[in-house]
Amino acid sequence: MSFVQAIIDGLLVGGVYAVISIGLTLVYGVMGIVNFAQAEFLMIGMFVSWFAWAYLGLDPVLAAPLSFAVSFAIGWVVQGQLISRVLKAPSVAQIFLTVGLLIVLENGALLTFGSQFRSVVTSYQTMSLSLGALFVSVPYLIAFAMSLACGVALWWFMRTSWFGRAMRATAQNPMAAQLMGIDTALMYKMAFALGVGLTAFGGAVILPYVAVFPGVGGQFVVLMFTVVVLGGLGSVAGAVVGGLAVGVIQALSSLVFPIQLQNLVLFIVFILVLAVRPQGLVGARR
Amino acid sequence: MKRWLALAVLIAVAAVLPLLLSPTGYWIRVLTFTLLFAAMAQAWNLIGGLANQTSLGHAAFFGIGAYTSTILLLKFGISPWLGMFAAGALGGLAALVIAIPTLRLQGHYFALATLAFGEVMRVIANVWAPLTGGPGGLSVPFTPPSFAGYSFKQLLPHAYIALGALIIVTGIFEVIRRGAMGYRLRAIRENQAAAEVIGIDTTKVKLQTAVISGVLMAMLGTLYAQVAVFFDPDTVFSAAAISIRVALIAILGGVGTAAGPILGALFIIPVEELMNDLFSAGAAGLSQLIFGAILIAVILWKPRGFITLWDALRARFARGETR
Amino acid sequence: MTILDVRGLSKRFGGLQALSDVTFTVPRGQIVGLIGPNGAGKTTFFSTLVGLIRPDSGSIKLGDTSLVGMKPHKVAALGMTKTFQNVALFAESSVLDNVLTAGLLRFDVATAREQALICLDRVGLKSVAHKLAGDLSFPERARVELARALCTGPKVLLLDEVMAALNPVEMQEIMDLIRSLRDDGLTLLVVEHHMRAIMTICDRILVLNFGKLLADGTAQQVANDPVVIEAYLGRSAEAHT
Repeated sequence: MSFVQAIIDGLLVGGVYAVISIGLTLVYGVMGIVNFAQAEFLMIGMFVSWFAWAYLGLDPVLAAPLSFAVSFAIGWVVQGQLISRVLKAPSVAQIFLTVGLLIVLENGALLTFGSQFRSVVTSYQTMSLSLGALFVSVPYLIAFAMSLACGVALWWFMRTSWFGRAMRATAQNPMAAQLMGIDTALMYKMAFALGVGLTAFGGAVILPYVAVFPGVGGQFVVLMFTVVVLGGLGSVAGAVVGGLAVGVIQALSSLVFPIQLQNLVLFIVFILVLAVRPQGLVGARR
Repeated sequence: MKRWLALAVLIAVAAVLPLLLSPTGYWIRVLTFTLLFAAMAQAWNLIGGLANQTSLGHAAFFGIGAYTSTILLLKFGISPWLGMFAAGALGGLAALVIAIPTLRLQGHYFALATLAFGEVMRVIANVWAPLTGGPGGLSVPFTPPSFAGYSFKQLLPHAYIALGALIIVTGIFEVIRRGAMGYRLRAIRENQAAAEVIGIDTTKVKLQTAVISGVLMAMLGTLYAQVAVFFDPDTVFSAAAISIRVALIAILGGVGTAAGPILGALFIIPVEELMNDLFSAGAAGLSQLIFGAILIAVILWKPRGFITLWDALRARFARGETR
Repeated sequence: MTILDVRGLSKRFGGLQALSDVTFTVPRGQIVGLIGPNGAGKTTFFSTLVGLIRPDSGSIKLGDTSLVGMKPHKVAALGMTKTFQNVALFAESSVLDNVLTAGLLRFDVATAREQALICLDRVGLKSVAHKLAGDLSFPERARVELARALCTGPKVLLLDEVMAALNPVEMQEIMDLIRSLRDDGLTLLVVEHHMRAIMTICDRILVLNFGKLLADGTAQQVANDPVVIEAYLGRSAEAHT
């Protein structure tokens, strides 16, 4: 029974991982850059949501669109002013630019908000639905539902809007896209802003069960990378599968190993995938 | 000839400098850590500069080194001098284990894999409490001061040991860079298929480089443990404070050059100390914030590091001479 | 004496049959031309011979040693290497260092440097030894490729369009060089689009089309082979006959 329970928990949590990680894979898919600072936008999303809860009385989950918007704006500026300058630079410059961004964002938060952990109080925080012997945690369920809604919205946007189609065209062939009259610099800004916005959205919806502090991003780094590598860097569909898989792997491994070793299990999965199938299990363009 | 003279002068200055500082004071500590981090960045420079594989996980080897010698000393009373070689062996082994699956990876993928490896070593050190003391960390036990026991009352000997380490690691770097292996590494870096076709065993060359880099990094971990006296998993296995910082020092100074890590460390470590000194009371994180901002600025402004400033200066000087 | 023995070599990439049952042998000391329309599989064939691409089936023997499944560096050590059609130099290294690196296969750095200078002299590039490889003109770079391959001390050398974009004088120099290498005992396989050059220097010509070996013979035999003419000129030739 605990096995089935773990799978349910894993899928619910994994849905959120998918949304958090889509941003990372989207940026890579469009620009070929791994944003090492991606998890910091999760932290930003959590802080925005926490302040909206503390000062505006907004439920953290309802504040998710606000988190998205703030992160989107920051991402737009970061892409336009910083990342755009290293698009053609050697990978070492790209890596260290985003690493620099990570350091600035994390310590900026530390400086501004202090190092204490902040959590929210909600009416549904400790509630769970029981299905016979199984339990479904309400905060997990809400976070999953919000992630699902967000994922569907993204899918709809990418499929039907001009922006979405232009972005996919840019990802496939920037040169051709440019010849077709697509402003690729705009597409890159859009992709980066959208990517970090989604991650921040994911940050807001997990706030009811994860406390926020400036270093919270660090706890998600290995997890996010495992998700995208599992699904294939650059593949959005892959990130969804990868997110669910990582959620389930985590939940199952916690049945066997102490909670602190979850990252170790993820890492082994991560290295195995990199070693055996660097293009990811689902397979991607790049 | 002029090069050797300059080198001799540099080493002489470095050898005299520790004597001028108060042996128990603050600046000798800064100097020791500057030399140590320069050596660490030089060890990173082998894989990051010569092989062009951006490792973000060198803290793994560093931490293994610190823990190996300290545990050997704690449990069996083995001198850290010997422990340092055990540390090197384990560090090399770890480098081999991680290099085999990640060797084929390039650029971002390699950076991701190594970053994750460092993080996992941190987790293991935190969890494996019976051996490592867990999150509480380890204190290097006090032994009567003696050179054989690697125990000193003052920091001065540590400064000289760090200087010696820097000279040795830099020497190894230069020998590799100028030798057959350096040529092979450059070939692999610039065109892997062509390198293979002209007879270079690319797998072997990359593995050798990774292992040498890991061995040196682990041995420097031992030196760190002896200076720091106390450490915990989050310090020695830190992605930000070790892995990223050593890479950053090399990059800031000029990656792939022998002088780069030294220039980088001479800038970064004292500036960091200074900022920590100025701001630590009021604002946690400010020095790191500035440090990150400098990193971004250097990447955007001088992607090849300070060494290019030096080259530009020298070029201007040379032009002036010929006129 | 046969130095290279290829039997039933096949390679498929997805839906494309890049090589299809290619069989031939080369005796030591021959210059063998390899011609065929674009996309005939010439470059794939060279890459397969040196171990960059693993064939689906077939055998490759250099002397008595089977090469299938062997890594390129082992193949080079046994004495077979190739140049790259799109020129794959170490662009940020000097011309000398490019060639020297190849010499390290058999020598230490000092000896490799001497060997590299000899090889550069042979291709007529000694005067630019200290320039960056990336700063050279395209024809010069192709010659550096040749010198680099030569410096590995090969028995069999595969040259992939080293004469592209050369003027007639330069072309004559390279043709003379190829002949002198043959006279030194090397065996050479040459891919070239310039028909007259191929017809002049090659002892024998192989014609490849859609991965298949169409013809194998002297320049005269191949030039008069109706199958070859059809492959090159397509249906129009058919219409005229």
